[in-house]
Amino acid sequence: MNTVASTTAGSNSSALSRNKLLDNLLRILTRSAAIAVLVMLGGVILSLIEGSLPALKTFGLSFVHTESWNPVTEKFGAAAPIYGTLMTSLIAMLIGIPLSIGIAIFITELCPPKLKRPISTAIELLAGIPSIIYGIWGLFVLAPLLQKYVQPVLINTFDGVPGLQNLFAGPPYGIGILTAGLILSIMVLPFITSITRDVFETVPPMLKESAYGLGCTTWEVVRHVVLPFTKTGVIGGVMLGLGRALGETMAVTFVIGNAHRISSSLLAPGTTISASIANEFTEADGELYTSSLIALGLILFVITFIVLAAARLMLARMRRAEGK
Amino acid sequence: MNDHAPGQSTTMQSRPNVELMKTELSDPVAEALREKVSVRNLNFFYGDYRALKDISLPLYDRKVTAFIGPSGCGKSTLLRILNRMYDLYPGQRAEGEVLLDGENILDPKADLNLLRARIGMVFQKPTPFPMSIYDNIAFGIRLYEKVPKSEMNDRVEDALKRTALWDEVKDKLQSSGLGLSGGQQQRLCIARSIAVRPSVLLLDEPTSALDPISTAKIEELIYQLKVDYTIAIVTHNMQQAARAADFSAFMYLGELVEFGTTDQVFTHPREQRTEDYITGRFG
Amino acid sequence: MNNLDMTLYRRRRLKNRAAMVLSVGAAGAGMVALVWILATLFLKGASGVSLSVLTQMTPPPGSDGGLLNAIFGSVVQTLIATLIGTPVGILAGTYMAEYGRNTKLTMVVRFINDVLLSAPSIVVGLFVYEIMVQPMGHFSAWAGSVALAILVLPVVVRTTEDMLLLVPDSLREAASALGAPRWMVIQRVCYRAARAGLITGTLLAVARVSGETAPLLFTSLNNQFWSTNMNAPMANLPVVIFQFALSPYEDWQRLAWVGALLITLTVLFLNIIARSLSKPSGGER
Repeated sequence: MNTVASTTAGSNSSALSRNKLLDNLLRILTRSAAIAVLVMLGGVILSLIEGSLPALKTFGLSFVHTESWNPVTEKFGAAAPIYGTLMTSLIAMLIGIPLSIGIAIFITELCPPKLKRPISTAIELLAGIPSIIYGIWGLFVLAPLLQKYVQPVLINTFDGVPGLQNLFAGPPYGIGILTAGLILSIMVLPFITSITRDVFETVPPMLKESAYGLGCTTWEVVRHVVLPFTKTGVIGGVMLGLGRALGETMAVTFVIGNAHRISSSLLAPGTTISASIANEFTEADGELYTSSLIALGLILFVITFIVLAAARLMLARMRRAEGK
Repeated sequence: MNDHAPGQSTTMQSRPNVELMKTELSDPVAEALREKVSVRNLNFFYGDYRALKDISLPLYDRKVTAFIGPSGCGKSTLLRILNRMYDLYPGQRAEGEVLLDGENILDPKADLNLLRARIGMVFQKPTPFPMSIYDNIAFGIRLYEKVPKSEMNDRVEDALKRTALWDEVKDKLQSSGLGLSGGQQQRLCIARSIAVRPSVLLLDEPTSALDPISTAKIEELIYQLKVDYTIAIVTHNMQQAARAADFSAFMYLGELVEFGTTDQVFTHPREQRTEDYITGRFG
Repeated sequence: MNNLDMTLYRRRRLKNRAAMVLSVGAAGAGMVALVWILATLFLKGASGVSLSVLTQMTPPPGSDGGLLNAIFGSVVQTLIATLIGTPVGILAGTYMAEYGRNTKLTMVVRFINDVLLSAPSIVVGLFVYEIMVQPMGHFSAWAGSVALAILVLPVVVRTTEDMLLLVPDSLREAASALGAPRWMVIQRVCYRAARAGLITGTLLAVARVSGETAPLLFTSLNNQFWSTNMNAPMANLPVVIFQFALSPYEDWQRLAWVGALLITLTVLFLNIIARSLSKPSGGER
């Protein structure tokens, strides 16, 4: 290539060396930019560890399982926010996964071709709505509705049912763990749906036809052929949604109630890691308070990193298998 | 609707056509052939495009009929009408009549699932389901019958034996069907189809993705299966049609040019176009 | 013939019917959620829209005002974030698609970048607080911009790589065969061929950060007043909405809805333009 360059781009060697220089420059520049992405991740982790050291030194491992969160006595434990984070995400997944898979089935198997694009786009628009919008919608529209109509029914229905009685106990506040989980389930919908739909579409038509050819119903084709075939990808999509739910801040902050306690009832207010940070960080005075909040951030980052990394690995595995 | 032991002929009214086949069918019409499937004035449309034009032909009971012709002539389309696979895709429609045992399967009220259970299909490429070898076969059976475990084992074994796969897979029934070779996978797919006990088998270029040895095995299998099944096979391979089929239908540009015994079509074609194609002048 | 078990078949058909009804129901529920949220936004937001929203500053409770300083702050910080994040992102994406294709570094960066793409944004806020706000001793618009830039980066990296990989290699080879050096091939051929995609990536990134609230809460904070000082706290729409919506004052809440409507329209508008610019999927995933 160099010889070609030398004849056309001027035979003088200065142009040649200039090109070589520019080429190396661009290579180094782009490479440093790529490395910057890695450095940033390292920076985030290091700064979080550094910031949370005071709290971790003071409380040790008990930080993770202590429920008390008292700025006055400066005793901080992460149990309540961790519980809230996991619980709201669990509710979001319980509602969001079947809904998303249902929508993906609708789009790939049932929907008239003309409606395919509009419906896909509409679902994806849900992902475009900023999370703070979900927050105020949840606070002003959904929470009052739940408080007035849904929660009293839940409380009355499960009153006296062992086990469930405690889950749906107490006064209907409107806001609380359940409401936050509901909002999150709408928010993860577009992420899980779009990935599920994409992997569903990778199923060879011939494979589906073979199942139909045996006399399978649509549901049986989905259940026994499409889902097993796309299992890895679907789980990847679900994990991606989970990662979103765990880290979501604003929407949850509006409707969670911000109470640092673990309540057996899903209707009770609680808090999540991200909501605690959002609510308290600017007002936190004292090194230990701030550091405890940063330690919460570190825990959140580690959890979401693991979940998201697993999601990406599964999706990559799916893509590789598809390439075969 | 009588139950019968696996491996036996699927109908009780016995006709001595096993002998007949061995004597290479000199004059099949005289042997009182029964029309299992009758295609009558069939037209097929992809949107506005008319892909099949006024096709009429019979599929005789327990005979092999080959659909031959150059690519795009509509032979696969015709095959896919016989189990209404085209119904999965909006914008495709068929007009005319296709009678299966006298019953019009193009009737919009026809139950597609039941229809497809009566008509098995095997595709160009092997399509084992993402499950174990055993379940690949048991899956179809479970759809329509409640079968006790021991009988299920027998049915699976029988289907695998009939496709000459049993000896190769009997020690790994619980491993994935995807781990088999291409030829084995295709035989698994045939086994899966016949395990449901259909009366018609549709084979859409079943050997196009296979090596010569696997191809020979499948052809051998077709020869054995026609004792029990009415078979329609789409093939690109002239020799395959000549070897495996009792009847051949030559199609060209969506029209049925010629239908007759394979012998007649290949040795004394009535139409010039058939002769040109068979002797390799085009296609 | 088969001995078909018709009871079994009827049960299967029923099950199928139920599953399909649920599937249609799920799609319906998704639609309802979208329409409901947007309708609420329009009903509550549109009633508060007036010229003063665009001309006046955020008011103290109980008096009239607008969102001018917040809109300005959001535009400025988003703009600066894009100016910082986009070039770095495009360069990194260029390395992954052009110089370092299939290298170990590329694979690691792609993986980490994909993870960062969905990482909780509030953590980015904490990070910038640690590295900028704390050392500087005060909240600032710079810190807010940097936090947003960190969120812009992964979106741009991802789309740049995707879009450059869509440029056929034959085009690169043709340009190289003419004697063009690598940097010129990238600049004149690849970037030009992938231009629509690169713009899409940038628009998606802008759309993503313009609604972000969490990372701004403790970086740029908020400011009641008009400020163009990048070294001081600066107002921005999301944080104003957060504060006003949670306040007990009705006029503040009304302004919060107006702000919410503005942001959503902007974000959806950007999303739709980005989509129409390039059909292939990419970006936020």
